[in-house]
Amino acid sequence: MKKTILDYTLKVRVPLTIFVVAISFIITFYVSREERDGVGYQPEQPIHYSHKLHAGKMGIDCQYCHTGVTKERHALIPSVNICMNCHTVARKDRPEIIKLREYYESGKLLPWKRVHKVPEYAYFNHSVHVNKGIDCESCHGNIREMEVVKQVKSFTMNACLDCHREPQKYLPYLSEVKEGPKYCAACHR
Amino acid sequence: MSKENKKYWKSIDEYNKKELPVSKSDEFMEGTTDEFDPSKLDGLSRRKFLALLSASTAFAVTACSDYHDQKELAPYIKRPDGLLPGKPNYYASTCSGCSQACGILIKTREGRPIKVDGNDLHPINKGKICATGQASVYNLYDPSRLQFPTKGKNKVDWASADSDIINKLDKIVKSGKKIAVITHPINSPTEKKLLDEFKQRYSTAEVYSYELFNNCNKKFAWFKSYGSPEIPSIKWDEADIILSLESDFLAKEANHVEATRLFSSRRDIMKSDHFNRLYVAEAGMSLTNTNSDYRIQVRPDAQYDFVLSLMSEVVKRGASVINVDSSVKKKLSNYSLDSFVTKWNLDAIKVNYLIDDLVNNKGKAIVYAGDVLPADVHIAVNLLNEILGNTKLYDYDKAYVNTGRQAHLDDFKVLINSFNKSEFGAVIHYDVNPAFHIPSSMNYADALKNVGLVVSLVESENESTVSDTYTLPINHAFESWGDAQARKNVYSLRQPVIAPLYNSRQREAILLTWITSSSEAYNDDMYHQYLMESCRENIYNKMKLAVDFKSFWFAALHDGYVELNKQSTKKHVFDLTAFDLRKHSSASTDFGLLLSRSYFIGDGRFANNGWLQEIPHPISKAAWDNYAAIAPSTAKKMDLEIGDVIKVSVGDNSVNLPVMIQPGVLQDMITVELGYGRTVIGDAGKDAGINANDLLNQQSGSSPWITSGVSIEKTGEEYELVSTQEHHPLDEDFVKDFHLKRGIIREATLTEYKKNPEFAREHDEELVSITSEHKFTETKWGMAIDMNKCVSCATCVASCDVENNVPVVGKDQVANGREMHWIRIDRYYSGTPEDPIVSNQPMLCQHCDNAPCENVCPVNATNHSPDGLNQMVYNRCVGTRYCANNCPYKVRRFNFFNFLDHFADSYYENEVTPLVYNPEVTIRSRGVMEKCSFCVQKISEEREDAIREGREIKGENVVTACQQACPADAIVFGDVNDPNSRVSQYKKHNLGYLVLQNLNVRPNVTYVAKLRNTHSEDT
Repeated sequence: MKKTILDYTLKVRVPLTIFVVAISFIITFYVSREERDGVGYQPEQPIHYSHKLHAGKMGIDCQYCHTGVTKERHALIPSVNICMNCHTVARKDRPEIIKLREYYESGKLLPWKRVHKVPEYAYFNHSVHVNKGIDCESCHGNIREMEVVKQVKSFTMNACLDCHREPQKYLPYLSEVKEGPKYCAACHR
Repeated sequence: MSKENKKYWKSIDEYNKKELPVSKSDEFMEGTTDEFDPSKLDGLSRRKFLALLSASTAFAVTACSDYHDQKELAPYIKRPDGLLPGKPNYYASTCSGCSQACGILIKTREGRPIKVDGNDLHPINKGKICATGQASVYNLYDPSRLQFPTKGKNKVDWASADSDIINKLDKIVKSGKKIAVITHPINSPTEKKLLDEFKQRYSTAEVYSYELFNNCNKKFAWFKSYGSPEIPSIKWDEADIILSLESDFLAKEANHVEATRLFSSRRDIMKSDHFNRLYVAEAGMSLTNTNSDYRIQVRPDAQYDFVLSLMSEVVKRGASVINVDSSVKKKLSNYSLDSFVTKWNLDAIKVNYLIDDLVNNKGKAIVYAGDVLPADVHIAVNLLNEILGNTKLYDYDKAYVNTGRQAHLDDFKVLINSFNKSEFGAVIHYDVNPAFHIPSSMNYADALKNVGLVVSLVESENESTVSDTYTLPINHAFESWGDAQARKNVYSLRQPVIAPLYNSRQREAILLTWITSSSEAYNDDMYHQYLMESCRENIYNKMKLAVDFKSFWFAALHDGYVELNKQSTKKHVFDLTAFDLRKHSSASTDFGLLLSRSYFIGDGRFANNGWLQEIPHPISKAAWDNYAAIAPSTAKKMDLEIGDVIKVSVGDNSVNLPVMIQPGVLQDMITVELGYGRTVIGDAGKDAGINANDLLNQQSGSSPWITSGVSIEKTGEEYELVSTQEHHPLDEDFVKDFHLKRGIIREATLTEYKKNPEFAREHDEELVSITSEHKFTETKWGMAIDMNKCVSCATCVASCDVENNVPVVGKDQVANGREMHWIRIDRYYSGTPEDPIVSNQPMLCQHCDNAPCENVCPVNATNHSPDGLNQMVYNRCVGTRYCANNCPYKVRRFNFFNFLDHFADSYYENEVTPLVYNPEVTIRSRGVMEKCSFCVQKISEEREDAIREGREIKGENVVTACQQACPADAIVFGDVNDPNSRVSQYKKHNLGYLVLQNLNVRPNVTYVAKLRNTHSEDT
């Protein structure tokens, strides 16, 4: 029987197309995974604040500014008066500090760009993690090295559960760490 | 079970074995969901069009924008001390829902109030408030609140309004015309002083205070009997025998939250089995009545004869503890209990028990007459209590403070006449709505047209805000300073917890501005200063404390109240001359009418609160409506069915009302609740129920709420009453035989219990699971509900609604059985429809160990946590509703619509109302199932605290919303794996039983079987 063009289309072209599409989808899916999860997201902030300088070089403790982290759900972006604790005196003449003081004096809101976020139906709580001895770095990466803050780890449910399941692997510095809760109501309500 | 064959029924139709409406008995009936017919939808409305437009624009914008963008976070510039975003702050304040001034604790998150609970420290209400108080937080965010002052329909600014009003008031005073200030009774000492100052400044001003439902009869009786209008509070917890005469003291009168706590404390099986015994003599079916041990049916107009007959019998038996004057004896000689019993065909045995109990428990019994009864009944009751020595149970230290004389309908008649004669130049509505409360036949609203200046100080428009004069928006209580003194021993303070949302001012400050004669005198802090000054003068100076005023003031604000020094009370001696006989008996046999306040929306003040409208009536379970409740026998006689409209006429006034056949109502009696049928109100309250204020008895000298000689007439019209009573039935017809064996309600008398302590559990079966059991090794959450204490006040329902963001669905959806309450109160009748016994049972998710809902979910959206919670994962739910179908307790609720924007034309879709929601609980959207979570957010909070403090989780630290609200302390929550916890004590108790135990679903809610304290001969 003579091979028709239809045969060729059905047997070769269609499967090949499907195969190529599927493969490229799968590859894109996995390759772009991190990108889609927001890893590498590094927005420009209204004030060029450097964690590298403050937390790294000067060694200011994270909790000096992020005061909520052991007390409650939010770590809290520091209110402007915390910045002004030092900057009413320190480096008053720098353009970024002048900007900061303008916010402080005018009472205008300082709109920091949010970097890390879990969806609102997940009730993540900083204090339960930090009070168990978990380091900020374990989720946020080495902020002390960052000029501009960038998301370095994925914040998906999978990422949470990985650590809840095998804390020893992800938190080797905690000798007596127990597994985290893995049931729904631990985070969702 | 003691009464194996006791049959429970929930409606008259069910009792008569009539078929239930299919939509009510079968939630999953084919076709119930077919009502969604796209062709019936309104065309593209402006709102929908704009929504579509904005949605598509939003899509377009999103497509082009950076999807990584997580928006912005703006911190405080200067974070206020003590405020941590994400953590609640609590402020003590005073409730303004009624005149009882309960102490409240307002929970705020990021500066917005989201929940109100009782103030634990408060000496009167001790951490509890009523359902209305619980839901009152909604009124702050009510979209119908006025946002700026208006004159007619025009927006005006405060300064010009103030100066114009001051000008006009001055002219009125000069011309010799009068000014009427109409208010509700003022329980604030400072506000009283302010009104006095106002009267001084404007010399022709007269203050009229009124309340649709008041205790004036009682107050008058007390004044006559003891020479002082100070009514003592009752030590309910010390009363062994209580006889309540037409009084709903557990739900409507005086401080019923306090009464419920004290009453229920004598029904605590863990403490003692020495219960109190409640006799109720009334014509209707009140909440107090459903909790009675004995019900005696007495018409309100026969109560006088009843009391005198009782008194005559007591005196005849020589049981009097005081010397009964011969004149009194002579007066009583015409009354005899026997003839009363025969005349009204009462159950002689019950009445005999009553008189025996009263005589044998002298000094430990109380006879309590309801506020609706005329003054002479109260005087007779006072004398009866004197004769029995029951005055020991009066607590004068906690007496109710007299708020002064109130205007009656008679006074309003005179007032309206003077309006018409133009004797008044101005009327100031001081946060009141007389045009709604006063019967329309008195033409109050028309009379206002003859008054030159009408100024209404209101939160939102009402029937009394006449269109062409000033309507000034006032602050909600949460935005205001204030004080209150409802009881002799407590002075309470109110503090603002949020800045005013709109351009409104607090009502006191408006008056204060007018007193100073200059519109410029106003500032936001002026009443605060005035209040502090008044508190220093009247409270602080009298207390002679060592601390300075500033510390005193801040301590008082922190606590919310100040306990005042005990004042020596003068001896209260009964004045026998007060006791005089009626000229002729008023008792009649024709149709009688009894009016009372709505359980939840009060006198109509809370009619726009959807949460309160949707809580089913405690007895009839009807929501969103009032009705004429009549006895089944009356209905039969007149050939009436539920929903038939009857014309009720009192003299020349008549009102058309739908009929509700209410088992337990006396034949030829009609009981109607008022507060419904508001016309000028927001979307929720509009068209909810019928205004029956026209039925108030306008005859001078008689109790306005009681009328006899009423005529009723069938109109042939029908009206749809919606009731949750047949929704979610545990005992559908086809499982009825099972139901008898299952013992959903298990109860007995106290004597039966003492004979057979194991009665509640003796029919429980030993069951074996076919699957391997899950071991709950650490904390396991459980609840116990003591049905001896529960009075079915539904405060738990209100509290749960607020805590868990339960949506309001509206009357049409309740008709379809789609109310969303996570906790409901099931009501079962037993006995006959004429004289039923009522059993109540709060029902919520039982968090079964072997939950039947879990294994039918195709997507594992509901499953079990290791601490025993039946979890509901909204994001997984695809809405098959299999779980609801398979739940034997019928406690799962499905979001048939996006109820936030569905109810009453997108009622909640505005900027302000959603602020009421608790940020700790997810807002559910259309197509997902929801149910009680055991307040998992509070469990998480405890876990967070435990980790921070480095300790184990403590079960008793978690207080669920329903438990926190329960005035009777009937709900206990905790760790059942902790053998010392209260909840496991209940679980172990031989009265503790599980509903539907033999299904082996292993529920985690233990019910404590109800014991009725009846005489042993009865059993």
